[in-house]
Amino acid sequence: MQVEKFYYDNKSVKMFAYATMLWGIVGMLAGLLIAVQIYLPAANFDLPFTTFGRVRPVHTNAVIFAFVGNGIFMGVYYSLQRLCKARMFSDVLSKIHFWGWQLIIVLAAVTLLSGYTSGKEYAELEWPIDILITLIWVVFGINMFGTLIKRRESHIYVAIWFYIATWVTVAMLHIVNSFEVPFSFMKSYSFYAGVQDALVQWWYGHNAVAFFLTTPYLGVMYYFLPKAANRPVYSYRLSIIHFWALIFLYIWAGPHHLLYTALPDWAQSLGTVFSVMLIAPSWGGMLNGLFTLRGAWDKVREEPVLKFFVVAVTCYGMSTFEGPMLALKSVNAISHYTDWTVAHVHVGALGWNGFMTFGMLYYLIPKLFNTPLYSKKLATNHFWIGTIGIVLYAIPMYWAGFTQATMWKQFTDDGTLKFQFLETVTHIIPMYITRSIGGAIYLSGALLMIYNLIKTIKAGSFVGDEAAESAALSKVHETHGKQYWHRWIEARPIQMLIISLVAVAIGGIIEMLPTFLIKSNIPTIASVKPYTALELQGRDIYIREGCYLCHSQMIRPFRDEVARYGEYSKAGEFVYDHPFQWGSKRTGPDLARIGGKYPDSWHYNHMWDPRSMSPGSVMPTYTWLFDNKIDTAITPAKIRAMQTLGVPYPEGYDKKANADLAEQAKTIQANLKKDKLDTPADREIVALIAYLQRVGTDIKGQQKTAAAFK
Amino acid sequence: MKNFLKKYSSLKWKVMIVTVLLSPASVFAAGAPVASELSNPLAIVLLVVIIGLLLVIALLANIVIGAAKLNLQRFLSEKKKNNTVSKMLGVVLLCCITGVAFAADSPAATTATDSSIAGLSSTSFYALLSVIFLELIILITLLFNLKKLLQSEKLAASIQGEEVVPETVLSGWWEKVNSFVPMKEEAQIDLGHNYDGIRELDNRLPPWWLYGFYVCIIFAAIYLYRYHVAHSAPLSGEELKIELAKADADKQEYLKKAGNSVDENTVKLLTDAKDLDAAKAIFTSICAACHKPDGGGLVGPNLTDDYWIHGGSIKDIFKTIKYGWPEKGMQSWKDNYTPLQIAQLASYVKSLHGTKPAVAKEPQGTLYVEEKAGATDSTKAKTDSLKTTADKKVTGAK
Repeated sequence: MQVEKFYYDNKSVKMFAYATMLWGIVGMLAGLLIAVQIYLPAANFDLPFTTFGRVRPVHTNAVIFAFVGNGIFMGVYYSLQRLCKARMFSDVLSKIHFWGWQLIIVLAAVTLLSGYTSGKEYAELEWPIDILITLIWVVFGINMFGTLIKRRESHIYVAIWFYIATWVTVAMLHIVNSFEVPFSFMKSYSFYAGVQDALVQWWYGHNAVAFFLTTPYLGVMYYFLPKAANRPVYSYRLSIIHFWALIFLYIWAGPHHLLYTALPDWAQSLGTVFSVMLIAPSWGGMLNGLFTLRGAWDKVREEPVLKFFVVAVTCYGMSTFEGPMLALKSVNAISHYTDWTVAHVHVGALGWNGFMTFGMLYYLIPKLFNTPLYSKKLATNHFWIGTIGIVLYAIPMYWAGFTQATMWKQFTDDGTLKFQFLETVTHIIPMYITRSIGGAIYLSGALLMIYNLIKTIKAGSFVGDEAAESAALSKVHETHGKQYWHRWIEARPIQMLIISLVAVAIGGIIEMLPTFLIKSNIPTIASVKPYTALELQGRDIYIREGCYLCHSQMIRPFRDEVARYGEYSKAGEFVYDHPFQWGSKRTGPDLARIGGKYPDSWHYNHMWDPRSMSPGSVMPTYTWLFDNKIDTAITPAKIRAMQTLGVPYPEGYDKKANADLAEQAKTIQANLKKDKLDTPADREIVALIAYLQRVGTDIKGQQKTAAAFK
Repeated sequence: MKNFLKKYSSLKWKVMIVTVLLSPASVFAAGAPVASELSNPLAIVLLVVIIGLLLVIALLANIVIGAAKLNLQRFLSEKKKNNTVSKMLGVVLLCCITGVAFAADSPAATTATDSSIAGLSSTSFYALLSVIFLELIILITLLFNLKKLLQSEKLAASIQGEEVVPETVLSGWWEKVNSFVPMKEEAQIDLGHNYDGIRELDNRLPPWWLYGFYVCIIFAAIYLYRYHVAHSAPLSGEELKIELAKADADKQEYLKKAGNSVDENTVKLLTDAKDLDAAKAIFTSICAACHKPDGGGLVGPNLTDDYWIHGGSIKDIFKTIKYGWPEKGMQSWKDNYTPLQIAQLASYVKSLHGTKPAVAKEPQGTLYVEEKAGATDSTKAKTDSLKTTADKKVTGAK
């Protein structure tokens, strides 16, 4: 048999590794900034682009898509070549992929800080960037499948199954969730509204966790962990079962982010049961990782890379057990909207993704530079610093979440709420401070790693093209004894792609189609009307400033929420909400019934200085809203986009909209005047007040449950 | 001997599966569509602990039996007797222990489900706690026995001069519970795959993992059946109705006892310093945002002058605080403060009258002069106006 000589492309791997380190630090710094802002509102610097609502999406996007994203590509580009015994398909595509992805990240940071956001969590990027992401993702796909096709290995290893599932599912999620109608170069409205938008968004959001933070990292774990430990993978049949079960079941679990909301009950139940069924498939990955270390635990004591992997896999196991528990309704009633969720995702992000990435970097950089790691001792120190950071981050957040939820739910004996919302916030500020310390410690560990790796890089010499040789792929497969049925598909990456797509498409289709097609799922309410032009402008300001990141607009059917906020939210109330703004965290109170609760002047003063109206509030100031003029030039385009989406504005309303807008603005101006507040009618604050005074008022006359039981 | 072990493990699994299946099943079956104590998070946590401990007990019991059996085996073989006795003994032992475990579990299931009182009553709480306590005692007993057995095994081994591997029983258990193939025999399950040097073994699926998966699937089926087919569990809207009805009943009950049921018809001006101080604390932290700490008025009206928009009698002020005037920006505080607190607040507001704040808002509303016989009752007018404002849109924008 002929032996072929070829070279592995280490250059792309190196580039992705550098990008991973850079964006990791950027993402963590952004996180640290917003963590401080929660107890020190002055740290918002009173500037629009350094304020919590805009920095928070930068933090999440930087950590998920820049840090972990580049980490995925680093791991895939390194392992795929070696598992396929082939160089990446095309050096040009590798370059386009790398630079394209970095361009997306930079554009994302710039646009998010400038306030261009679609208002959908973890999918905030606007339509031109969405298209760019799609294109680069396709480039990645071509490069990956090109490599698979010219591979010299007859079968594809389990790591690659996960890469394939990742690629096809992320493509599906991104495209379906990014359906939007552009009305300007950088702005668009979500194609879906209200309940449907929420369902699609959390189908996406949940599975972004699954297929961007979990499956690709399981893939790299399957390569780097056995390599670092030099042990055979524990169980091949466990790989098969947990892989297929995981990708099939994961997709269904999205609605567990919407328990007790206006989402139809049947969809919520599906979210719960599929989350519970997910425990075993998720744990299959953990077991296969940890049991592979059987007989290598003495190495774990010595080798920092393995230390990181062990804690990462353990954190993965903990979060994937905790996740299904949080999907049980009675637990979710406490955890949702609180810092419990924040703690949960950070155990995953800091523990699983962070530590896996650190482990990979400590493994890869010495290999790429053909030199031992500069200091094993520093790496071990990093490991301990990081672990302490995670603990100091997670425990205060669990504590804060549980405490706050319990305080929300407490009533006095004579049936009144025991705590004001603000009291529950100020009560947990010490926990917020501790959390930021934990985060800072974790970040300092990462900086230590970068120092260690720079020293390693300086000591070594880079091997850009690593020589390798292998026999060409023969048509006849060598077999060793008994063959599994699964071997068939392992020799056929394209079929694997198609079957994976089928497996992940089923859950989404079954949950979404009925919500879109069957009317009874979203009962219409006659009194719900479209927003006025001014309110629509105000709503876009609300989205731009990221208000939804701290304020929910979804009152759940609980006694305490009905008492605190008003009648619980109904599905029919949100039919004109493109995009929905239900939120996922209550750092501030729910706003679903804020309309009419306070006078205009209260909002005016509160936006200028929240602490003047709510002493002790942690909300940032929004002084620029008092200077910015409402962009009325875009009003007609916005109205037309809404009409395209089926919002029943009268024919030709786009031309009259601005006149209506000016008129409504004048009434607000007059209201403010009565309270000695002078403002021109064309300022953004006026539009925002108009929107806030509208939210949740459409069904005020019909608040039956609340009235009947008071 | 090997056969014997096999039989053993299959029996163990049967028992364990039954245990695991039975506990959630009984819990499910008994729940009426009333908010049972099962929805109480504390109860769930305790039940999870109970079931977890039960599993640990079952596993540990199995080790102890294994160790005891080995011991017995040695003892019996020394005496050259048939080993059926040991077999019998082992089975009996196993039955006893799981029996105890079952007995321990059943009170938990019944106490948690038979009560129709939502929230965790102290009886069920202590019942659950005692179950946990009982389970802990069983665990300690088992551990104690295990230690003894291990010691005697060591002793026996050292007498016979065999090589002793100290963690035999524990690691043996670990191997067994995961169905590990011993490291020495690894070559037999090597599949011969080689991906960049990575080999793959073909270990069996860890049985506890596999059965756990089945249990989760059964849970899912029961869950969907209960909520959407049998309708024996409340959906979110129904849950709220149950919760509110109960809260209302509790509140009425309490108010009857507490005598705290001041309302706008019975409220009297309070002048006690203790009452006014309590009110002042609330006023400066909450009311001051709109009315200023000295009552001079900001967004809200001046409370120190003679003019009142909604009446200046103690009853009117009480009503204003209690129900609010949402369309004017005054929210209702009845869900935030008790009737007594509202009476205190109203009295405090009255006490501000005549103080002259440095910066005061201009008078709003109509002149109010204190009447000897109390203010005219404007309850009717108030309810009417509330009705009309609720129907029309109250946004400031319109």
